[in-house]
This record gives sequence, C-alpha cells and structure tokens, in this order.
Amino acid sequence: MNRVKYRISWFIVVQEITSSNTVVRTFFLLNQRVNDLVDISQLKGFRFEFSLSVEIMKLDFSGLESSAPLYGGSNELLSDGFSAAPSFDLPVTSDFDGFQKNSIQMVKPAKGTTTLAFIFKEGVMVAADSRASMGGYISSQSVKKIIEINPYMLGTMAGGAADCQFWHRNLGIKCRLHELANKRRISVTGASKLLANILYSYRGMGLSVGTMIAGWDEKGPGLYYVDSEGGRLKGTKFSVGSGSPYAYGVLDSGYKYDLTVDEAAELARRAIYHATFRDGASGGVASVYHVGPNGWTKLSGDDVGELHYSYYPVEPAIVEQEMTEAVVA
Amino acid sequence: MSIFEYNGSALVAMVGKNCFAIASDRRLGVQLQTIATDFQRIFKIHDKLFVGLSGLGSDAQTLYQRLVFRHKLYQLREERDMKPETFASLVSAMLYEKRFGPYFVQPVIAGLGEDDKPFICTMDSIGAKELAKDFVVAGTASESLYGACESMFKPDMDHEELFETISQALVSSIDRDCLSGWGGHVYIVTPTEVTERILKGRMD
Repeated sequence: MNRVKYRISWFIVVQEITSSNTVVRTFFLLNQRVNDLVDISQLKGFRFEFSLSVEIMKLDFSGLESSAPLYGGSNELLSDGFSAAPSFDLPVTSDFDGFQKNSIQMVKPAKGTTTLAFIFKEGVMVAADSRASMGGYISSQSVKKIIEINPYMLGTMAGGAADCQFWHRNLGIKCRLHELANKRRISVTGASKLLANILYSYRGMGLSVGTMIAGWDEKGPGLYYVDSEGGRLKGTKFSVGSGSPYAYGVLDSGYKYDLTVDEAAELARRAIYHATFRDGASGGVASVYHVGPNGWTKLSGDDVGELHYSYYPVEPAIVEQEMTEAVVA
Repeated sequence: MSIFEYNGSALVAMVGKNCFAIASDRRLGVQLQTIATDFQRIFKIHDKLFVGLSGLGSDAQTLYQRLVFRHKLYQLREERDMKPETFASLVSAMLYEKRFGPYFVQPVIAGLGEDDKPFICTMDSIGAKELAKDFVVAGTASESLYGACESMFKPDMDHEELFETISQALVSSIDRDCLSGWGGHVYIVTPTEVTERILKGRMD
C-alpha cells in the first residue's frame, strides 16, 4: 500500500468581472476540490494522506465597497459567511456615477456654521454661532449648537442638525449607563471614543457630523474633535464649520495658555463674531460656555448684530458742505 | 449655487406719491465669504433716473458703464435727458443683444417721468420688462422681499413714510438671506431733491 504524502497548495481564486459599475466575485471553494479528489481516489482503492498548506491571498475589499449595493439580489456563493448588503432597485439612468454623486451631494447638508473650543489654564472654553441655513436661505437664527451631554461635558453641533442632536443625546445615554455600571464618571477620552465608534460604523451612509467633545474629568480638561468620516483627534484648539478659517485667525493670534476666564471668553466671543461677519452661513447669537472642574456654565449669549456696533461704533459722518436756506435780505 | 447667487444681492424699488425709493444691500461676497461691505449697486443715470443692478457684480459694473455711455450719447444728440420708459426699452434691447451669452444681471429701473410721475420696472437677465405700479424686487433675497413688500406696501405714501417702509422691507428680508446684507443703501427721489441714506443693519 502506498502512503503518499502530498503537499498541495490551493489558492482561492477570485474573479472580478466588472461591467458598467457592477462587481461580481466568484470564489472557488476549497472543500469541493478536495472532496472530489478524495472520492476519486477511494474508487481507485488508494489511500491518500494530504497535508494541505493553504495559502489564502488576503485581499482587502473594503475599498471596493460602495454605498450602492451589489447588482442583483441573492447570490448563493456570496451568502456563505458574507453579510448580505441591504439592496434596493438601481435607478435607470445613463450616468450612474454622476447620479450617485449628485444624490449624495443633495442629501449632504453643508456645514454652514462656526463652532470653536480651546483648552486653557482654567478649563475649556466652548463657543458657537446660532444660524441654520439651507443653501442661501436662513432657516433659523436661534439654533442651540452647544449641546449639554451631561453636567460636565459639552458637545458642539456642526453639519446635520438632526444627526448631531440625536447622536449627542445617544452619547449622553451611554455615558449615564457607564456611570451606573462602573460607579464612576466616564472620561472625555471614553465618551469621545464611544461617539467616534458609532459614527465610524455609519461611515459612508450620509451622516454629517462635525463635533467637538469638551469636558473635565479626573485627568483635567479634555477636548476631542470627532466627525462623521470616523476621525477622532485629541487637541487643545479646534474650530469646525464654514466660518472656521476666520475664527482660527482670531483665535490663533490671541491665544495664550495663561488666559483668565474673562479674557478667554472675550477671545472666543470675538472669534465667533469675526466669523459671523465674514461668513455668510454663520450669524445670530454668539454663545460662550466654560467647562471648569465643577462642570460647565453658560457665560454669555450676545446677538452678533449688536456686538458689531459695540466693537465698531458708528461715527457720525463729517459734514463738509451743508445746504441751508438762503437768508432773504 | 447658480451664477446669480455668486456675489449675492438684494434690490427693491417702491412707488410713492410723486416720489419713488430705490434700495439695495451693500454686501459683495464670493459665495459664502464676504469681501466688501460697501459695494455700490444703485447708480444714477440722471437726477430723475436711477438704475439698480443685481446679480453678478462684474456684469453689473460693466453694464452700468455701457448704459452711461449710451445715455451720454443720447444727451448729446437729443439735448435732453432720457425718459425712464425710453431708458427701460434701451436696457431691454441691450440685454437681448446678448441673448445667447447674457449679462448675469437683473436690473431695477426707477425714475420720474413726464409730469414727475414715478416709474419703476424690472427685467430678467435677457430683457423681459415687468412694469409694476407698486414695487419691484430683484436679487438673492427676492422671495423674502416679495413677501415683505406685499405686506408693508400702501399706495400714495409720502417720502418720509416711503423711506420707513422700504427700509423695513429691505432689512427684514436681508436678515433672512445668507448672501446679502451688511447694511443698506436707500435713495429717496422727489421732484425737488434726492436723499441718499445708509442703513445700519445686522453685520452677520
């Protein structure tokens, strides 16, 4: 009886057929080939012992995933071990790429706003404007863009209002659950990570969130920037929104770590005011909050229209020539 | 954003009793960024004729220069000022000349015609005249302006009341528009005097 040891390497072959933006993948499953060989060999009366070294080419398909589903409904080969993508009918259009891009652009709300936050000696200063705009139309001048997650943590809103409001409230719930489960407050690091992970899992689905999580925990003041692309950054100074370049200009030139609370509040207010002056999509009321060791407090909410005239009062024009009635002699 | 919303503008003209008022905002922007807060949109053709040009700033300035040229030639030939009705026809013809490559402007023409009867009219970018007896509006804030003017307008107002009305209509409309604002410019024209006033508005 021959005992033959075979070293067989099987590759999983992937075939990609691309035809008009659809991708079909065919896998040759390992098991079937091996079973075939075994069946045939038994018929012939030999005993084979294989040791298989399977080199599987790990191909990373995450880049190919698009928000549009795979063409066609079910495919038995693919459903084994792969989660079925949610599917709907593809639109009948001559330019599918352009259609998809345009429809995403249509739903994507522009981040027309100015929010900023910075860490300084006395804690975190958070400020925002209060305008909501839809294209060119101002839909509201009194939107609350600083969201109170819990008494010692604040979140700012930029992007889709519904998205920000919902997910911040959801984050507040998760933070409270953490407190109850662990008998201690959640850290700013932990809270921002919770939010970032949620937003990452919805990546590509059209959420628009550009938020800053500011708080005071056991390690002191904390500030994180989290966005709907899944990014999460720790930092000491951030500004988010269409008015952020203007706010950064003022913030960067006036920032010092050793500011007092009043000086920092004035810096934040000034930065928001300058952003509302230059940016068409920012305006309304400049609200300033301070997060200290005992939690947050709202410092001021000044109407930006009035702030302008307090910073730059109108001087009466110098009258050079004045017409008066001629005196009749 | 369309080309008409590139610079942002708001214009309104109203008729009163033997007088008219024409008002504009003062912002010049590049989409959302504000570049200037003292941009001139209303131009004087002669003492009793004003034209406001909303839309693309560059086309507004160029068209104004062309109109001034044509009016000066007219003055030399006819030895008198143009009547507002004639001027409106001139603007309409000049805009239609560029039918297939238009000026991206919407003019608002306001003047005192024969017997000092006020005349206002507006046009689209290729010269379709719209004569109105009460008010005309143009610009990115035009929808808000229509609403404000419709509710605030009364016929036969004198020039003081007309100034209040047009200022209120302008300011409340541009407060609802991201692309126009940053102050207002109002001209009140009666048979004897022209008053130019600058409004203090929200600078956001």
